[in-house]
Amino acid sequence: MHVLLQLKEVRKQFAGKVVLDGINVEIANGEIVSMLGPSGSGKTTLLNIILGLTPMDSGSIIFNGKDISKVSMKERGFNIVFQDYALFPNLTAYKNIVYGLKNKPDLISKEEIDELIDFLELQPHLSKNIDQLSGGQKQRVALARTLAMKPKILLLDEPLSALDGVIKETIKEKIKAITKQYNLTTIIVTHDPEEALTMSDKVLIIDEGKVSQFGTPKQVIHQPENSFVEEFILRQLRIKRDHIYNLFEVCHG
Amino acid sequence: MGKQKIETQFIYIIVALLFIAFLFAPLMILLINSFKTGQGVGLNHYSALIGDKGIFIAIRNSITISVLTALITTILAFILAYAVNCTNIYKSIKAIIKVGILIPMLLPTITYGFAIIYSFGKQGLLTQFFGREFFSIYGFNGLLIGYVIYTLPPAFLLINNSFGYIDKKFMIVSTLMGDNLFRNFTNTILRPLIGTLGGAFVISFILSFTDFGIPASVGGTYSVIATQLYQVMLGAIPNFNSGSAIAMLMLIPALFGVVFLNYLEKFNFHYDKFTNTALAKNKLRDSCFGMLSIAMVVGIILIFLVMFITPFVKNFPYDMSFTTSFFKDTLFSKMILDVYENSLLVAIVSAVLGTLISYSAAIINARTTMSKNIKMSIDVFAMMTNTVPGMVLGLSYLLLFNNSDLKGTFAIIIICNVVHFFTTPYLMAKNSLSKMNPAWEITGELMGDTWTRTIMRVIIPNSIATLVEMFVYYFINSMVTISAIIFLVTARTAVVTSKINELQHFASFNEIFVLSILIFATNISMKICSEIVHKKLSFTHSCE
Repeated sequence: MHVLLQLKEVRKQFAGKVVLDGINVEIANGEIVSMLGPSGSGKTTLLNIILGLTPMDSGSIIFNGKDISKVSMKERGFNIVFQDYALFPNLTAYKNIVYGLKNKPDLISKEEIDELIDFLELQPHLSKNIDQLSGGQKQRVALARTLAMKPKILLLDEPLSALDGVIKETIKEKIKAITKQYNLTTIIVTHDPEEALTMSDKVLIIDEGKVSQFGTPKQVIHQPENSFVEEFILRQLRIKRDHIYNLFEVCHG
Repeated sequence: MGKQKIETQFIYIIVALLFIAFLFAPLMILLINSFKTGQGVGLNHYSALIGDKGIFIAIRNSITISVLTALITTILAFILAYAVNCTNIYKSIKAIIKVGILIPMLLPTITYGFAIIYSFGKQGLLTQFFGREFFSIYGFNGLLIGYVIYTLPPAFLLINNSFGYIDKKFMIVSTLMGDNLFRNFTNTILRPLIGTLGGAFVISFILSFTDFGIPASVGGTYSVIATQLYQVMLGAIPNFNSGSAIAMLMLIPALFGVVFLNYLEKFNFHYDKFTNTALAKNKLRDSCFGMLSIAMVVGIILIFLVMFITPFVKNFPYDMSFTTSFFKDTLFSKMILDVYENSLLVAIVSAVLGTLISYSAAIINARTTMSKNIKMSIDVFAMMTNTVPGMVLGLSYLLLFNNSDLKGTFAIIIICNVVHFFTTPYLMAKNSLSKMNPAWEITGELMGDTWTRTIMRVIIPNSIATLVEMFVYYFINSMVTISAIIFLVTARTAVVTSKINELQHFASFNEIFVLSILIFATNISMKICSEIVHKKLSFTHSCE
């Protein structure tokens, strides 16, 4: 597969504390990659470095064979959906979605916008104000606003954390579907192992600023490379699995 | 990112230059002047002041009456806030208390004095009504009433605001734990509020210590520091150097007050969550606090009532038959219209400029990545403007700009207002801006906006309610201030408040009250407009 994004020896310190300690990763075109780790592991910092918001101390980022380490956030052409969406409350849902088109009118056609809106099932909510939308609707509006900018890479910061249980699964499916539809390389930050392993092609497990394991969900489950993956990721999943099995057995019995 | 730096730096430089030129420089000149003597530099003016019996008495009087005012105001304001927050009296009564107590804020303090004279004086309305004179009004008694009315609204606002942050669930917990009434009250109300009560005391003290309008009208022979300063500067033989020294003496208690206020911050409780809990039934408590509060509001309204009556009767208080002819004649006289026009001009321009500057300063502080030192310097500006009394600021302008083109212009009055009232609007803006989503600028940038464009398209549209509030604050305060501008006005640039001060020497009380009514009507329409905007904004937010 064609390598789209390459991180080489990325390092970052904040006030003397090492946050990222030599990260090396290759991400292929069209892949969904989840960055998984406990809070304070450095995963959000890594996301911001890829976005171009936070400068790194050393290392390089290669996009499509070109070194973009020094390229500004605006020029990189990546885009992000923030954890709390950062929607503009003075604008309607529709005006939020087309916000960027005022600056780049030729980027996307009217038909493409309509298709995007239909795909995310936002048609009935377009004229609503932001504070009238539910959590899932806000998430979809934020997704549409970001996708309308045709990002070269889509970044999602804890996309499911603000949603309640039932809506979580549908949004998960939507995100998966959209990345396949637009062949969009996507990087997701999450602290939830179940989320990471069920949503992505590859999982990047980060612990204390280092790559703990990078592989497919299957590899993580069947060949955990160290005790951190074993202790914190797999054990949690097994407990969850056992709880659910128990529950169903009791019901059937 | 690089572009944002240049724009924000530009804004910061303008704000910083403004404060250097119109706050630091004048205060430095004032300080230098207070030490300058015929032979060079020395403490002569200060030692002369300390030896001067008149000044000594004025300072002692000022401290005595300000402490007493602060004590009374804090207690009364607490009773009002308690009635509004911790009793089950009718909602409509609570609303009346909340609105009624703020009425004095819409009037200049110099009007208070004349309203008190016309209410409690020998021929006063209330004296007539009750058939006897309660006490001699000129001097101590009049001042005390005036100061209490003046300081009650801000003290109430402060305490009322803190009451909102007290978790009332603790009252129920305390009752369930078997606390008696006294312990319940001290633990769940008094203890959490102690910092705020101290703050209300300090603010009331500073306000009465530095006010000029009330002693100018009702002070009589009871001299206070503000009137002493006025006489030294604008009396028969103006003495700029000893005036500067008096101004420095006026600044010191204010300085201590602000330091003390920051210290009191530590005592404030910060509950992370506060809930509305039903209050226990207590008819005795409700009726006591309800009656007391209503009595206070009615008292204030009664005192100001006289200013709406006098201009409409033939010859107060001898011939009380109604007439509008006098009001009409006064209202449409050139003198009145001219000063009113001046006041409007000053208030509008001060409000526009002041809002612009304080909002820009708040954006630098709350929404940019500029260095900590730069952000802190703006907070220091805000704290300084809050510390310097209006009279001191005005006097320092007089000293610095006396020989410049700014002397006797509207510009200097406007700049003085912008600097003097900077703190509150700045804090309003900073508070609202820091509550907005921190990722908006980044999102705007990712959508192709420049920094300025995101400010225009997102940040400002989301600040409309705050901007209106800031504008109204600047407008009303510029309209009613007298202490800040009394040294800066000339015959050409006279505003309503300085005209009132002048008119009292001709005993033209009808004109005084007509001018006061004009200010009151203007300010109240301003308040109503801002309420309408607020209602409309919240309406479109929830119903569109």
